[in-house]
Amino acid sequence: MMIKKKTLTVLLSAVVSSFMLVGCSSDSGEKSSASGEKEIQFMHLWPEGSSKKHYDVVNDIIADYEKENEGVKVDLEVLSNEQYKDKLRVLSTSKELPDVGLTWSAGFLEPYVGGNMFAPLDDVIESDLKDAFVPGTAEAYAIDDKTYGLPLELNIVSLYYNEKMFKDNNIEVPATYEELIEASKAFREKGIQPVALGNRDSWTGSMWYMYLADRIGGADTLNKAIDRSGSFEDPALVEAAKEVQNLVDNGVFVDGFNGLADEEAKSMFMSGQSPMYLIATWDLPNYTTNEDVPQEFRDSVKYMNFPTVKGQGDMSSFVGGPGVGLFVAEDSDVKEEAKDFAAYFVKEWGEKAVTEAGVIPATKVDAESLDLPQMYTDILNELNTASNITLFADVQMSPGVAQTHLDSIQALFGKEMTPEEFAKAHEDALSKQ
Amino acid sequence: MNKVMSNKLFIAFYIAPALLMITILIFIPLILSGYYGLMDWDGIGAKTFIGLENYIAGIQDKLFWNSALHSFLLAIFSTFSLAIYLLVSFILASKIKGSDFLRKIYLIPMLLSSVAIAQLWVKMYNPSNGMLNAFLNMIGIDNPPTWLANPSIVLYAIFIPILWQYAGFYILIYYAALKNIPESLIEAARIDGATPAQIALRIKLPLIKEVVSVTIVLAIVGSLKYFDLIYVMTAGGPNGASEVMASYMYKLAFSSYNFGYGSAIGFLLLVITLIVTFIIRKVTATKERIEY
Amino acid sequence: MNRIGYFFLYACLIAVALFQILPLVWLFMFSLKSNAEIFAGSPFSLPSEFRWENYQKVWDGGIATYFFNSVWITVAAIVLTVLFASMAAFAITRMRWKLSGLVLGLFMVGLMIPIHSALIPLYSMFLSVDLIDNPLAIVLTYTAYNLPITLMILLGFYYTLPHEIEEAAVIDGCSVNRMFFRIILPMTTPIMATTIVINMIYNWNEFVFVNTFISSEKYKTLTVGIQNFIGQYMTDWGAIGATLIISVLPIIIAFIFFSNKVVEGISSSAVKG
Repeated sequence: MMIKKKTLTVLLSAVVSSFMLVGCSSDSGEKSSASGEKEIQFMHLWPEGSSKKHYDVVNDIIADYEKENEGVKVDLEVLSNEQYKDKLRVLSTSKELPDVGLTWSAGFLEPYVGGNMFAPLDDVIESDLKDAFVPGTAEAYAIDDKTYGLPLELNIVSLYYNEKMFKDNNIEVPATYEELIEASKAFREKGIQPVALGNRDSWTGSMWYMYLADRIGGADTLNKAIDRSGSFEDPALVEAAKEVQNLVDNGVFVDGFNGLADEEAKSMFMSGQSPMYLIATWDLPNYTTNEDVPQEFRDSVKYMNFPTVKGQGDMSSFVGGPGVGLFVAEDSDVKEEAKDFAAYFVKEWGEKAVTEAGVIPATKVDAESLDLPQMYTDILNELNTASNITLFADVQMSPGVAQTHLDSIQALFGKEMTPEEFAKAHEDALSKQ
Repeated sequence: MNKVMSNKLFIAFYIAPALLMITILIFIPLILSGYYGLMDWDGIGAKTFIGLENYIAGIQDKLFWNSALHSFLLAIFSTFSLAIYLLVSFILASKIKGSDFLRKIYLIPMLLSSVAIAQLWVKMYNPSNGMLNAFLNMIGIDNPPTWLANPSIVLYAIFIPILWQYAGFYILIYYAALKNIPESLIEAARIDGATPAQIALRIKLPLIKEVVSVTIVLAIVGSLKYFDLIYVMTAGGPNGASEVMASYMYKLAFSSYNFGYGSAIGFLLLVITLIVTFIIRKVTATKERIEY
Repeated sequence: MNRIGYFFLYACLIAVALFQILPLVWLFMFSLKSNAEIFAGSPFSLPSEFRWENYQKVWDGGIATYFFNSVWITVAAIVLTVLFASMAAFAITRMRWKLSGLVLGLFMVGLMIPIHSALIPLYSMFLSVDLIDNPLAIVLTYTAYNLPITLMILLGFYYTLPHEIEEAAVIDGCSVNRMFFRIILPMTTPIMATTIVINMIYNWNEFVFVNTFISSEKYKTLTVGIQNFIGQYMTDWGAIGATLIISVLPIIIAFIFFSNKVVEGISSSAVKG
């Protein structure tokens, strides 16, 4: 029977190819192959398609590094933000992290450090990068006096506004919080939605809450509540939560902000639909150098520090913090090379990042000597004179608590929670830890 | 006959490839995930065995049951919309003009990836620039809802694209089933003077009963573990108003680094789905198999 | 039915059709716009200028490799899935053995597992057999995870096949394999075409598994390629639109081909009735 034989062979080979390969490993042996060359795996989140400039800076640095270090090859994997986080998650479970990769500070680090996934980098900082970082940035990557990340970015949050829209509508640019509310009401009367906010990504709403907490309660109240030396039931923090709802009641934020992504809110600001937008310095290229954004819009964007509330607060106290930083995997086969590469990367990154990609680096750069747009120089100066930078709350908190915080922020803005309930939700989550 | 069709060797040969595949690639991970559910584990550091603690916590977790309720609502909506899909399939399978073309058009949303579908609907629902509210404004509704921001609407607002996206899937299956009915049966009924409606209800529907009951299971199981669009469009928000079981599980395991608990929730999801499916199968069970 | 009835029927059908075709129109517009237009303007407005460079950009981004990978991975997984599922459906519905009910139950349970539960265990399994960053892992995973649903869809049809066919075949001295490949499989062409379409859509659009198991550019598929345009702080939506259009075209063509098969199959299997 011809058919029988033929089908049998086909089927068997199909089955064999599917299962035998699962059963016994194909010895392709990747990593340690080729002629004693060392390979450093490096994973980052700036894909060429969306972040061409970052991508190019990284490639430049790698090319330089490979040139200067014969026999070392950097093997690159690039993912988008969400996918990067998910993949890191999966890789860590199997202890398969890349040799060098990007991490976020504080709370994000905790599980990785707890599981001994990241190598302490104090030796690298001590020998190669002493005094290289802006004070406070490397510290955000420290747990129990050991530093596990080399910060690359430093972001602070400012209120950006479209000066032209204010002028066209004969509305004064607000100098205080109370004026901000008045200006918002005036915009509302003209049918303009005042502040772009995409609170579906609730870290954006969190920035509003944090600034109000900072202005009302001073720089330390929120930090203390998070590190448990204080409490979210502190009157100043409850007051801040009340102010959030006051802003909502006064129609300050765009309609349906809880259903909008940050990206949608940003486009409302950038298309001149809304005159104000609270965001961090990673957006600076959009307001300065990005040629894809109309010149007219870029010219009319100005920024202000978050205003004082009822005359209280210090306007040179900021919400912000380092964004991503480099980690080196603890069980890397090429740990020394990886550390060396990470240090090299940080040194090269600073100037290149700010001039070519518009990133405010966490390493000290001499703003005067660089040819930068005015807004950059101004912001770098703000940074130099900042009295305090409070790290983003969701970054400070461990991942589980951060999730509660972000959900509660949505509920607070949506008025499904009273300020008191908001405080209690945080207390419950933090005490459970 | 009986001897040939109960030859163990042949049975093994036909069932083995599929069975091996799902055993290795579905059941082993499933058992592992049930096992992780017994651990206090962030997915990275050391595992601590805590027995059924995660499962008990899951059963007492209000947020979990809240998400389960949403999943159940989606399952109910999906099941009822099968009736609409079935109706459309009946119309398309009857020999009306252009049915072939229409059928192809109807399937288009299904061909697009969820990323694209989600982006489209997010834009439809945008309270300031979206089509939907622009339309509502036009017909004189002044304060149209902020669809995805309103916790009492968001869940239903998100069901619509899901039901819309899956229309093609079920129409495809029903259409094939209806086309599979031998023409002679229908012809016979027509000669006996049955109306098209009678033919559909009395002849065709009973004949594709088995297929319908399979699609009910698919719709329910698919709904109970549904994730894609919801995650992209609202990420379960605002404040959990559109959270479903799978997105809750994902948040715990991937965002909150509570991998042990997340695994337990994933396992509970499966148990719940199993129970529901079992009940549905009992209810829709056909006593005798129909052959053409 | 009378004229007015038909008129209403067609009006409804066409309205629904419009609603279903809109996303494609929208996507096409989207692929020719800039970021600003995509967010601020109405979804169905014409682009202020047709930015064909979005397509150029996507093409330069090395989409050809992704495309090729998507095609072969999708096809390989479909062949395995539909073949194995048909065999299993045959064994479960046509053959007599005690455990068939239990095995069917197992497949149904397989339908229920949320993929994010399986992701991490699967990763460590593939790692232990050195299949990480190997497209075979993707083909196997797609096959396994689509088997339950494919089997469920096939089952309904296998049950309705008349038993006389097998009886006749056995009496004629036909072997089981011959019966399956020569008689049963051709008879199920319409439903096979249906499952092929469904599998094709699932495999083509899947990205969680590829993203997790594959790290080399040379093995990535189209859906993961799209991620290239989503950045930490910036996303190029026009390019994403262009990628989506490029990636949906082949599937539309394949779909039209197979959906005709659904109909053709009926005339070719005149055996029954």
